[in-house]
Amino acid sequence: MQTVQPSVMLGSYVWAQDRLPADEFTLRLDELHAAMDRNGWPVILVYGDVREHAALAYLSNFIPRVRWGMALLPRRGDARLLCAMSTRDLPAMRTLTWIADVQSGMGPEWTKAFDPWFERLKGERAINIGTLGFDFMAPVLFQSVRASLGDRFVLQRADDISPVPPIRKRPRELTMMRASCKVIEAAANTFAASWRGSHEPETAALDAERTARSLAAQDVRTLVSLDGGRTLAPYQGRFEKIPGPLVGYIAVKLAGYWADMFVTVNDARSKATQQAEAALDMLIAKMRPGAPVADLHATAVDALAPSELHPVLSGSVGHGIGLSLHERPQFRAAGDGAVMENAVYTLQIGIADAASGNALLSAMVRSSPKGADILTRSPSTTAT
Amino acid sequence: MNLQAIVGNNVRLAEATRHLHDQSLDGLIAASNGLNNFLESNAVYVLAGVRPIGASAVVLDRDGRSTLIVTPAWDEERAAALSSTDRTVGTDDLATTLQSVVGTHRLNVSRTVSIGLSLLGQALVDRIASALGTLPNAADELARDLARIRSAEELAAAERATWIAERGYERLLEFARPGLREFELAAELYCFTKKLGAEDNFLLLSASQHNLAVRAAGERILDVGDIILAEITPCYRGQFAQICRTTAIGQPPPVVREKYAILQDAMSEGLTAGRAGARVADVTRAINGVIQKAGYGDYCRPPYMRVRGHGLGITSDRPGDIVERNERVLESGMVFVMHPNQYIPESGYLMCGEPVVVSGNGCRALSARQAQLDIIAV
Repeated sequence: MQTVQPSVMLGSYVWAQDRLPADEFTLRLDELHAAMDRNGWPVILVYGDVREHAALAYLSNFIPRVRWGMALLPRRGDARLLCAMSTRDLPAMRTLTWIADVQSGMGPEWTKAFDPWFERLKGERAINIGTLGFDFMAPVLFQSVRASLGDRFVLQRADDISPVPPIRKRPRELTMMRASCKVIEAAANTFAASWRGSHEPETAALDAERTARSLAAQDVRTLVSLDGGRTLAPYQGRFEKIPGPLVGYIAVKLAGYWADMFVTVNDARSKATQQAEAALDMLIAKMRPGAPVADLHATAVDALAPSELHPVLSGSVGHGIGLSLHERPQFRAAGDGAVMENAVYTLQIGIADAASGNALLSAMVRSSPKGADILTRSPSTTAT
Repeated sequence: MNLQAIVGNNVRLAEATRHLHDQSLDGLIAASNGLNNFLESNAVYVLAGVRPIGASAVVLDRDGRSTLIVTPAWDEERAAALSSTDRTVGTDDLATTLQSVVGTHRLNVSRTVSIGLSLLGQALVDRIASALGTLPNAADELARDLARIRSAEELAAAERATWIAERGYERLLEFARPGLREFELAAELYCFTKKLGAEDNFLLLSASQHNLAVRAAGERILDVGDIILAEITPCYRGQFAQICRTTAIGQPPPVVREKYAILQDAMSEGLTAGRAGARVADVTRAINGVIQKAGYGDYCRPPYMRVRGHGLGITSDRPGDIVERNERVLESGMVFVMHPNQYIPESGYLMCGEPVVVSGNGCRALSARQAQLDIIAV
């Protein structure tokens, strides 16, 4: 779910080397090197900013706290990481990545840090360079990259040729995601419990956020309904009782990995909640490697009929999740692709129906040959 | 619905419309990438009064008619209730909808200017260029120039944000103790200020026995003898306000007090120098002068400090960074944070800063109590 982006990432902002040691990144780079060899890229540039940085985080562990970062990864030789931070902040930035050479790329530092690094690539012929994440780069920075590289280097978009991060999670990533799921579960339970005691949706959301942050979450996003679940809204500071059920959303990021969850709690069990629970059960039951995502969408929508999917889901009943809150594929009617083994998905079901009521529920699952391994699921929907 | 805010935002729309007339332009497209950077102007917020969730745009024509486009589509109802534009459209495809709205307003793109397209991602900008046939000329400074002087409502919001920051710092003094992890303290502060009405908080908080700089909270466990650095920056109704504070756990060595007094003196000089009509460079030199006089002139540059203050988003970040190369003239009603934060070899990095409003007599701190070296008894 899209929510308001906070101005800065706070919380536990560290490289979790006990869980993601340096050799993990060697293994990840091996896959990248193979793609570089196949495509003739002696260098790949990986961009990420404070909004979207999955590829950068996957390959370098660096997550921009503000502005942007860019890894300059050669096939041979030493990597460099540029970040849009003052030189004052570099000692702290160096603790966040395995890349030893971290430089400021902000303002006048750009040409000092970016341009000389390419002197290693001498020659007469044009040289192709792969790029990851450049779709998110602001035009002004893109122009700086082009100006620095000149005509001798040709940028080639690598995002589709060699997708990073891969949809299938590595074993250590699954460990990270299980940890994120523990935090989202604790936060969602607080969300529900707080509402049961107060019937104040925004108080409940803030209590949930506090729980997540006290468990070392780096980022927490919440949405709540102030109209009984018909729409969702970001924080408004209305700490007051609101009639109707609690319908809310929370996402947490722990050591780079996201988990998210919808929370619906009713004083009396509504038809919408029953329908949503049944549809979610059906969707989970169909989650097997190879299942086309369009078929899964159809399964969920059929289970909800005659009610329609909640508008806040924008026509999707799930998607991948990991270093990005929104990873491929989207489970839409016209969605491409199929479920992959050892990928992690968030499955999201909702109804906004004048007759049945309003409900939003979700589960996070790992797909396995035996079916869905449920990592976490929305808490109880009943008030007691 | 905040009627006062809407009136204020209508003033910005009126000013922007006047600008279109003055420059013989057809229209304006103001875009936002959905980020609320505390150092940037968010043109969509300036013109519509809405903090967007995703990429968004305001289209304004020379007749003063305006449309807000928000993504995702489901956010339309909330945005429409808050927006000071004539119309609000929700969409999941900003480029295509922008093309349609530009057509509705009958804008000739070659006689239209843009704000903030340079902040969007390259891929989205390419789609917009394709949809419109070309990109409008950039007028990226326009929103921050229009909003450079805080309106009465904006100043009141900045004062409220400062009040929240000060209450947040009081909470830090109550809550911080040896054994607590940095992120636990940050969590408490962040949620505490949110409960007081802050919609966001650019919060940096870290501790060490000898700090090199302030940084984001980590897993470090607070200990006796630590110096806690806190940059507390709540946002209230679109106005960020920042206080910078230094707190010792237990009695600090006398040298820390002695060096902290240098920063306080520098702050005092900066407040006096920051009168309307002065240049930002003059304020910077006044601050640096005190630090140079104390023998630390070589440290008045990165990595020992960053800037002596800066503007505060999300309406206008004028007057910009408080640095010697900034020749911008201060005007009454401008708001920025002044902070002579500094690394000093004997004490480590120390922080001292207040949000200030410019007046003819100098800068007035919005905070009720200016920074001092505080001590948490152990």
